[in-house]
Amino acid sequence: MTEPLPLRHRAEQLAATLPPLLVAADRVAATVAQGVHGRRRVGTGETFWQYRHYDLGDQPQSIDWRQSAKSDMVFVREMEWEAAQSVWIWRDTSASMNWTSDRNHQTKRQRADLLALALSALLMRGGEHVALLGSGLRPAASRATLTKIATLMDSAQATAKEAIPGQDANKDSANLPPAQPLPRSAQLVFISDFLAPLDDINKALRYYGGSGQRGALLQVLDPAEESLPYDGRVRFDGLEQEDSWLVSRVEAVRGDYARRLQAQREGLRDICRALGWTCDFHRSDQPPQAALLRLYTTLSQAVT
Amino acid sequence: MMNFGLIAFAQPWLLLALIGLPVLWLLLRLTPPAPRRMAFPAIRLLAGLKAPEETPARTPWWLLLLRLLIVTLIILALAQPLLNPQARLAGSGPLVLVVDDGWAAARFWPARQIAAANLLAQAEREDRAVVVLTTAPGAQDTPPEASGLLSATEARRLLQGLKPKPWPADHSAAVAAVADLELPGAANVVWLSDGLASPDSTALAAALQKLGSLRVLREEGDGLARLALAPATEGVDLVARALRAGPEGPSEAAVLAIAGDGRIVTKVPLVFEPGETEARALLDLPTEMRNRIALLSIEGETTAGATVLLDERWRRRPVGLVVEGTDQEAQPLLSESYYLESALQPFTELRKGTVGDLLQRQIAVLAVPDSVILSADERSQVGAWVSRGGLLLRFAGPHSAAPASQGAGQAAGGDDLLPVRLRGGDRTLGGALTWDTPARLAPFGADSPFAELALPDDVVIRRQVLAEPSLDLGDKTWARLTDGTPLVTAARRGDGWLVLFHTTANTDWSNLPISGLFVEMLRRVMAVSQGVDSGGGGQALPPLEIMDGFGSLGAPPATVLALDTSEENASPIGPRHPPGYYGNDSLRQAHNLSRFVPELAPLGRLPAGVTAGLYHDSPERDLKPWLLAAALILALADLLISLALRGLLRPNSPGGQRGRQGAATAAALCLGLFLAASVLVPPATAQESNEARALEATQMTRLAFVVTGDDAVDEISRAGLLGLTRVLERRTSVEAGPPLGIRLGRDDMAFFPLVYWPITATQPTLATEQVDQVNSFLAHGGTILFDLREASAGAQIFGGGSRGTQDLQRLTRGITIPPLAPVPTDHVLRKSFYLMEDFPGRFVGGTLWLEAPNENVNDGVASILIGSNDWAGAWAVNELGRPLNAVVPGGPRQREMAYRFGINLVMYALTGNYKADQVHIPFILERLGQ
Repeated sequence: MTEPLPLRHRAEQLAATLPPLLVAADRVAATVAQGVHGRRRVGTGETFWQYRHYDLGDQPQSIDWRQSAKSDMVFVREMEWEAAQSVWIWRDTSASMNWTSDRNHQTKRQRADLLALALSALLMRGGEHVALLGSGLRPAASRATLTKIATLMDSAQATAKEAIPGQDANKDSANLPPAQPLPRSAQLVFISDFLAPLDDINKALRYYGGSGQRGALLQVLDPAEESLPYDGRVRFDGLEQEDSWLVSRVEAVRGDYARRLQAQREGLRDICRALGWTCDFHRSDQPPQAALLRLYTTLSQAVT
Repeated sequence: MMNFGLIAFAQPWLLLALIGLPVLWLLLRLTPPAPRRMAFPAIRLLAGLKAPEETPARTPWWLLLLRLLIVTLIILALAQPLLNPQARLAGSGPLVLVVDDGWAAARFWPARQIAAANLLAQAEREDRAVVVLTTAPGAQDTPPEASGLLSATEARRLLQGLKPKPWPADHSAAVAAVADLELPGAANVVWLSDGLASPDSTALAAALQKLGSLRVLREEGDGLARLALAPATEGVDLVARALRAGPEGPSEAAVLAIAGDGRIVTKVPLVFEPGETEARALLDLPTEMRNRIALLSIEGETTAGATVLLDERWRRRPVGLVVEGTDQEAQPLLSESYYLESALQPFTELRKGTVGDLLQRQIAVLAVPDSVILSADERSQVGAWVSRGGLLLRFAGPHSAAPASQGAGQAAGGDDLLPVRLRGGDRTLGGALTWDTPARLAPFGADSPFAELALPDDVVIRRQVLAEPSLDLGDKTWARLTDGTPLVTAARRGDGWLVLFHTTANTDWSNLPISGLFVEMLRRVMAVSQGVDSGGGGQALPPLEIMDGFGSLGAPPATVLALDTSEENASPIGPRHPPGYYGNDSLRQAHNLSRFVPELAPLGRLPAGVTAGLYHDSPERDLKPWLLAAALILALADLLISLALRGLLRPNSPGGQRGRQGAATAAALCLGLFLAASVLVPPATAQESNEARALEATQMTRLAFVVTGDDAVDEISRAGLLGLTRVLERRTSVEAGPPLGIRLGRDDMAFFPLVYWPITATQPTLATEQVDQVNSFLAHGGTILFDLREASAGAQIFGGGSRGTQDLQRLTRGITIPPLAPVPTDHVLRKSFYLMEDFPGRFVGGTLWLEAPNENVNDGVASILIGSNDWAGAWAVNELGRPLNAVVPGGPRQREMAYRFGINLVMYALTGNYKADQVHIPFILERLGQ
């Protein structure tokens, strides 16, 4: 309380605003309609499911007297099971994501964060429980959780910006999802550029697929990574302390590069097919709503 | 030195390096340029890919050409090329530079300096010693003498300090100086002359030729200096005259007439006809502007000879109006001097004073209204002055009409200064007891100075003084009435005139003074008077302002002696009497160069074997710095181009940080080049910090305390005001910022509505400017709370009792403290926010004194409050909000009351007296339970 007045004013201002990422995510999420879905079974819920006869062992309070008065049997009202599922979202925080070919576009990292947060907002509105994989938070559906996730992303992004490219300062940034034990009914979402070797990706994903959890993959790439729009003699440097590579004429290697990228994508699709997951590709210069919609529909379809 | 006609190279062997250029070309062509660098995350997918054919990348040919050009420019620059090379200096001995620095040399002095500098550069290149000889006598009347053998740098320093002198050059003494010179070997003599001939210039040329080969540089034709002569007076106008050296060909110039304050009065063209050496130009000006001219100068020539100073001798003399005492100043329309002044003021310079004062100055006309009575002494002075050539203008009136009733003895003295004998008594025309009507003026005769003046119809004379009839009355009459009686008479006395108006100068006796005819008549009278031409009268006049070699006036140097103005041995122009103004307060005499220059002639034929040249030949120029500058600019361009080719300049590429750094250094280099020539401005840190502090103090309302120097007390003050600020912010709408400390004399107090001043024994007594600052703060509506900070239950404040009181008196010495009274029970301070009965602080019981309420001062808001209850101690909180000091006798209630007092005080200081209105009284009374 050394500076009471300006701090209070600032705090009041701060309380009136949200982290900018959250605002952006809210805006994206608002374009998609959502709702709480039922699980089409009997269970605890709020919507009516069926009537059944009164059995021994039922609570007398659950008897529906109106229906019972219509006939001479005693009926018990049963509700649909509306359970929230827990969704675990993981996004790639390695240095290779922190890159954009054009200053006017977002970096892949920013786009991945935006998609992850928008998805969490959507799912939370639908009543699902969301958590970030690797953050240590428990899945919850409250607004506070969303704010916590947003703040986590903001601070992680800030540290990523300060880090010198090429130096892996963040110890818990990895380009592969960590292995964390999860409940069986959990759903997983992985957002990354998936440029690691296919074997490593396969091993990391199989950990989850092998336990029977359902997942969805989203690859976020920069348009320059797809089209390689450079000319002439260029020496390429990697962002994660890889060796640099000199290409004397880039336009000549474009075709080969496209083939390799296609092969990587095919490999990803194969992995997903084997696990029964969905796979989607997104470019960072396209609007994020399309990818979000696809991801959301796959998630909701996977439940029902 | 290799000479290619227009260009010469001083170091030609460096040009051999040009052979290496093709080798450089080959080298640059073969090495491939550096590739662009890009950061790319998907490098794993790229690794191993090779382009099918490997053609070697090449630097573009235009970039190669640019680099070769840069190298060529550097090689050429190092070979020291010279444009317009000068021939080598002849002879083997030293270079003798003879510089004319008389008044005429000031005309193109920079050209002379450039020519001398070029010669010195040449001498430096050829390692010759230099001898410098100036031809004008020095400032202490020393004859010109040659310097010894100097090196080129010393000679350059000498020449840079050389300035033209405002007196003529002395060639005969220069011949003597040349004869004394002894030089090894045949010298190379260059004479930088001013182009004018003097009696000894041929002798000087011959003497110089004996030393070695002589070259003379001079001006010609229009380049020669012109001399401005003293203007002639033709009637009322000035005629400016100027002299030129050579009579061939037409020439034009302009004369500027400049007033004493430096403003140009007029500019007239001066045309020299072909064959004529003198030109005249008429300055057609109204008299008041003509009187303002202080000097005439030929436009564009900044020599001492082109400026002529004017003094009183060329001025139309002013009119002196005798006033006596302060009579009738309260009623100006009744005083004669008022009418005379308004009539004379527009067209002549009018001076007012007593007779003695006026006669000490040079005046042409002395106007004496009737109300002034001259004593015998004054009469004799005036009489003497009139016989020397002055014009005495008198007016008749009741006083001059009176002598008829008095004795003759008194009257006889006054009549001495009248042109005619007056008949005693006056004559009333058109009064109650006369038969006739007020008289009109008759048309003026042809021989009167008022001839051809238009007579208005409505000028009537009601009373006048009559003259004794005499034989020459008709000759002396300048103006008559319709019945023939003279109205204005005049007579010569010695060289001067006595003029009498037979009526008053105010409207008592006629309405002539309020007509335009009066002004015209007075002008004609002025025209009759002549300027008095007198010199200094033979006295020695000390110098007032001295002209320097460039014609500008300045303070006289110590070497100038007083001017002797007697006719027999008038001082000539020289180092001891340079041109300028000499004199004292009452007399200012101009000493001009033009009187002492006999004639102007151009430098005549020179002896055979002498080469002549002009000053404006194009000198040789060194191209080395230009070529190096061009090479540098091209190198910077090359740097930017190569960065661009590597793709490191594109602002969008994120991996171009290194490239951007490179571009930034290139840009910084360019900027540094341009800034290297500019002068560094000293940082105005003190001003900036004042501004920063003012901003800080005014962006929010702040309470302030006076820094006493005792850290503990200042801490308590700050913490106390901070606590008060917090309470204010919680309970009232005053949202103030953290308190600031004021150092008296250094920080401005005007930003703060309330200042808290704890009185301590260690605080130093205030200096004068600090007292002034506090006084002005109080005078402009500030409020100060003085806190004696002691438990003073029952002690008197101004009884001189306690220690605190003594410190208060010491510290407030000099501050205007109005009469103080204890706070009355109905004062606004007691009800401005909370209703308060007493004002406890850390202690209770002390009285709070404030300014006795006075509605007229500061809207009734007290500016001084003095108390002793240590309020800051009660308000002080630490950063957690906990109070720092305990209150005595104690209790949270007392602290609460202290806060309430603070809030009341701040609201009082910020809102003034609004709570004193009667609207709230019933509610307040109700709450007080009365």
